[in-house]
Amino acid sequence: MNQADVSKLVSRLKTKVNPRLRKFRSPEGPEGRLNKLRKTVTALIKHERIELNYPRADEARMYAERLISDGIRYGDCHKTTMEMADYWLVEKQLVHKLFKVLVPRFQDYSISYTKLYRAPRPPVPGDNYSKAILELRGHPYPSLTVDTHSNKNLIHNILLEEAKKAYRNTKYAEIAAKIDAVEEKLKDIEIEEPSKSA
Amino acid sequence: MNISKYRLISVLGKNIRCSNSRGITTEELNRQNELFSSEKKRQKEKVGRIEKIEVEYEGSQNKTQLVMNKNISTPYDCARHLSESITKRSVVALINDTTLWHMHKPLPDSCKLELLHYHIQQPNLVNKVYWRTCSFLLGALINSAFKDNVEVKLHSFPSPNVRSGSFVYDVQLSLDNWKPETKELKVLSIEMIKFCQKQHPIHCLDVSVDLALDIFKDNPHKTQQIPDIAAHNSGKITLFKAGQHIDISKGPMVSNTSHIGRFTVSNVIKLDTDIEGGPIYRFQGVSLPSSIILDHFAYGILEARAKELNPARIPGSQGVINEDESFVSHMAV
Repeated sequence: MNQADVSKLVSRLKTKVNPRLRKFRSPEGPEGRLNKLRKTVTALIKHERIELNYPRADEARMYAERLISDGIRYGDCHKTTMEMADYWLVEKQLVHKLFKVLVPRFQDYSISYTKLYRAPRPPVPGDNYSKAILELRGHPYPSLTVDTHSNKNLIHNILLEEAKKAYRNTKYAEIAAKIDAVEEKLKDIEIEEPSKSA
Repeated sequence: MNISKYRLISVLGKNIRCSNSRGITTEELNRQNELFSSEKKRQKEKVGRIEKIEVEYEGSQNKTQLVMNKNISTPYDCARHLSESITKRSVVALINDTTLWHMHKPLPDSCKLELLHYHIQQPNLVNKVYWRTCSFLLGALINSAFKDNVEVKLHSFPSPNVRSGSFVYDVQLSLDNWKPETKELKVLSIEMIKFCQKQHPIHCLDVSVDLALDIFKDNPHKTQQIPDIAAHNSGKITLFKAGQHIDISKGPMVSNTSHIGRFTVSNVIKLDTDIEGGPIYRFQGVSLPSSIILDHFAYGILEARAKELNPARIPGSQGVINEDESFVSHMAV
């Protein structure tokens, strides 16, 4: 009954949060796992695009998203957020980058702050792990995927444009037919009315 | 086991069979292929002493000069010198900024070479080449898809027009008022995709009128069209071959059937014409290259539009349709 609204306590992330956290093999136990992820989150904030094994990328993504969303939510004057930033970012100059560069960049985003791609495996024998590329949105690098949207002359864009035109023409024809039908009715009424009055 | 096989046959519909057997007989097909390959061999031997030509390749980032063999090397060979990714993505070559050249057609002289693909800034010419190839491959499919009791005679396909929303092949079938069921169209589409997955290269050959008449002696429509086509093309007929299928077209076409990504045979409509020998059906389809990925909803819109009758010219007994003069086509589309 008196349960607090969870979304008021923790910001809702735009990415999928795994119900069960991955245990990365580490002799130092849970702390070693977190140390691994700290390295990855720091690298992501520093380089904005990194290539790594898929499980680590997927796991680190959640922590990076949470860190940025807390930064946006509470700002740099909030003690807990600053402590979290201090913990997750191993290189301390990146704390400035988080609050001065990334928070203004992502302030008005309604989508996730990071993007995860599946990458091809390198042709190295023995390396059987699936790879991923993790990047921050709004980075300065060229896009990884081919842009098929902006060029109107690509074959599928031409086909879709023509399909749109054809659809509109049928709709206009329908509307015109409706108007004609109404006008014909009106004419009939006009013709009938004088005969009644006469 | 037997039950599942029975179901499969029932799904395939009355007139369409799955594969390996043909509307055109196997012997006829072998005869055509033997003529084609012997002529190709003859032309290759005719070259004689090998001379060198210089090909200037102009890519988006770099320029290279290649020394190639006159009348032997093709733009495809040039692409193989450059890189594998360029070889795979190249659709058609543009020579001296004016002439579109088939990827597997030998180069006759020194020239400037550009290799076009689907993602260039102005891909209108490439789209047209792709659409023409789809028409040609639709012909290959129709030739092989029907049961032996259905007589199939390919007629022609009009000039490719991407804006019409579908590509077309007009075919004479010995079926009265055949209206294809959805499952039959589906079988045709699947057969086409299976054919394209075999990654057949599409070859090109210029032949004389006599040889063309010999190759197409069983097809009255093609026989009738050949003299007229030759008159407009300085006495030569350009043939294209994918797998075992051979057809007349001014070309050019894409280099390999692996370029075809999605392919749907959307509708078959009976045409109202005065051509003798049986009713003419217009096969229509829509397709996208494998390098362009579209979600199923948007593709569904394209499929729905491709079901309507294509407004291209309907073939008649008078006047032979000339497929567009784009073999030496210019930049304007």
